[in-house]
Amino acid sequence: MNFSLIFQTLVTGLAIGGIYSLMAVGYSLIFSILNFSNFAYGMVIMLASFMGYFAMSKLHVGMGVALFLAMIGAGALSFFNERVAYSSLRKRHAPPLYFMISAMGTAIFLENMVYATIGSQYNAYPQIFEVPTVTIFGASLGKMDLFAIVFSVIAIYGLNYFIQHTRTGISIRAASYDSTVAEINGVNLGAVIGLVFVLAGLFAGISGVFLGIKYMAYPNMGWITNKAYVAAVIGGLGSLPGAVVGGIILGVLESFVSVYVSSTLRDVFSFGTLIIFLVFMPSGLFGKYLEEKV
Amino acid sequence: MKRIKKTVSLLLMAILVVSLAACGGTSTPPAGTGGSSGGSDENKPILIGHEVALTGGSALWGQSEKNALDMEIEKINAAGGVLGRELKLIAYDNKAEQAEGVSVANRLVQDGVIAVIGPAQSGVGIAASAVFEEAKIVMIATTATNEKLTVPEGQTEPLKYIFRSCFIDPYQGSVAATFALQDLKITKAGILKDVGSDYSTYLAKYFSDTFTAGGGTIVADESFRTDELEYKAQLSKIKDAGAELLFIPTMQKEAGLAMKQARELGMECYFLGGDAWASDELVQLGGSATEGGYFVNIASLEDPAIAQWVEEYTAKWGKAPTMPNPVLAVDGLLAIVEAIKATESTDPTVIAEWLANCKDVPVLTGKLTIDPASHNPLGKPAVIETVKDGKFVFHKGVTAAE
Repeated sequence: MNFSLIFQTLVTGLAIGGIYSLMAVGYSLIFSILNFSNFAYGMVIMLASFMGYFAMSKLHVGMGVALFLAMIGAGALSFFNERVAYSSLRKRHAPPLYFMISAMGTAIFLENMVYATIGSQYNAYPQIFEVPTVTIFGASLGKMDLFAIVFSVIAIYGLNYFIQHTRTGISIRAASYDSTVAEINGVNLGAVIGLVFVLAGLFAGISGVFLGIKYMAYPNMGWITNKAYVAAVIGGLGSLPGAVVGGIILGVLESFVSVYVSSTLRDVFSFGTLIIFLVFMPSGLFGKYLEEKV
Repeated sequence: MKRIKKTVSLLLMAILVVSLAACGGTSTPPAGTGGSSGGSDENKPILIGHEVALTGGSALWGQSEKNALDMEIEKINAAGGVLGRELKLIAYDNKAEQAEGVSVANRLVQDGVIAVIGPAQSGVGIAASAVFEEAKIVMIATTATNEKLTVPEGQTEPLKYIFRSCFIDPYQGSVAATFALQDLKITKAGILKDVGSDYSTYLAKYFSDTFTAGGGTIVADESFRTDELEYKAQLSKIKDAGAELLFIPTMQKEAGLAMKQARELGMECYFLGGDAWASDELVQLGGSATEGGYFVNIASLEDPAIAQWVEEYTAKWGKAPTMPNPVLAVDGLLAIVEAIKATESTDPTVIAEWLANCKDVPVLTGKLTIDPASHNPLGKPAVIETVKDGKFVFHKGVTAAE
């Protein structure tokens, strides 16, 4: 065993885990308030990735502006996703299963819209750093990965502060604890849910652009968001710290399995972990709720 | 969800392919009209069929194939024809579709051709081959690389009348290994392959067999599954093992990303791949990391071995041929012409027997030798291309070591 390979594997795992965490936060936010898994979220991330790509390659703006535009765009998209696909179900008190079916429909619709209008080709973002890596203790770390990790930590910390310490944040927590009681006590439930979707959309914007820069933008990006969903379940759906920890665990686990066990068995291990978690800790590491976990 | 959807649609597609191929097998062409009738009359031209996509997505290559054959037949006829008779090409459009391929095959059989060039697509080729085999007419496919075209599933003997002028996919792996050993002079190679793709796993296997037989060592054999985008874990293992060359037998998307990530990890080794790299997307996705990467291809416009022919073609048609189809079509035609000359016969059965055992027949790309056990060309020259200033340029021609 040599130290630099272990360290490199850890760094690689953290870089991918950071992105899993970002996306898992979006899944968890929505789950915490509506108690269903919003599978359309992956498509919002994919579209955000395209927004960032078009902003950078067609409008020739810098990464900061592209990130901002993608966050605004994805936030709006996520908001409309709720208003169009879920709000009428919510008003009729439909069970979570119906939400999930509507979410799948939205996901398939959005993906095929992209195939039909933009096409299936792969779109690479322009290169951002001339020399893309820095070397720490013999391990190469992408400057973009470093930036992504720092930015994600700030964004997640900001979100946590907002939810824990502001009046609006308290109403989100109240609604996620019991939406009916919160509504009786004067919380405007429609507005709170809209806000949660916008917040999730902002995170989709960040992850979409980071994914696009790290890899590329293309319509079939869905698989990677599935991994983020797995991360959210490991951490405990509905829990923000859980989403972060789940993402990091999954990323690092995958990386170590690839190097020290077998790269062919990587998915066998990560999904095996998911099953083990669901058997022994059905609510994940930090989860509180068990009911309606679909 | 997405994965399930994909699996189901692939499964459906596979069923469709198999059933279409089966349809082709059961449709019996009218007896007596085909076979040797094209060779019966001393003064009539010898008829050669062309199964080609002249419309649709593959038309660009198909049109170029037809132009090349037209030009070549014109030259042969101007020089007095074959056995004193003229050659005549009958080309029908199969739209690169399997159903069309079968009906085109039936029409060609009725027209009385003795041999057929094409199709270019393995699926169409497999469907059409059943008709030609039944009618006892020679078929030489151009770019159909699927092994099952000449030796169908579950059989050990090749179909008697079915041949191809291109090498099959896995052969590229041997070419790549030969190039790595003899030209790059490296002895330690790593492999990053896609376990979800036959193309990739077979290329990797042939590379590794030839490379090891030639004295090299595979220091790390890593894989990922189709659609994965993150290879840094596998790559750091390959780097740690001290690979001087990384063989990436994958599609352009994965190859571009893998090269980018490898350079980010500080790997300074050579990159080598197969013909699936030959897309502009490789350079778009991989950026500057692809610079200097080598890949195996079937044919190149800049190959000096065919430079004169490319010039002739360009002068006649006003544009360069669309590679690699026209070159392979001409190889097929020249092989048939040589067979007629050598056997002094236009009987397809005689021609097929001669082709199955032919050695060093002069064709456009060099010398053609057919493996009697598989009806695939043996030791066919391939080209190595490299990425220079973001463009693909010809590096050299290579033939795999035995």
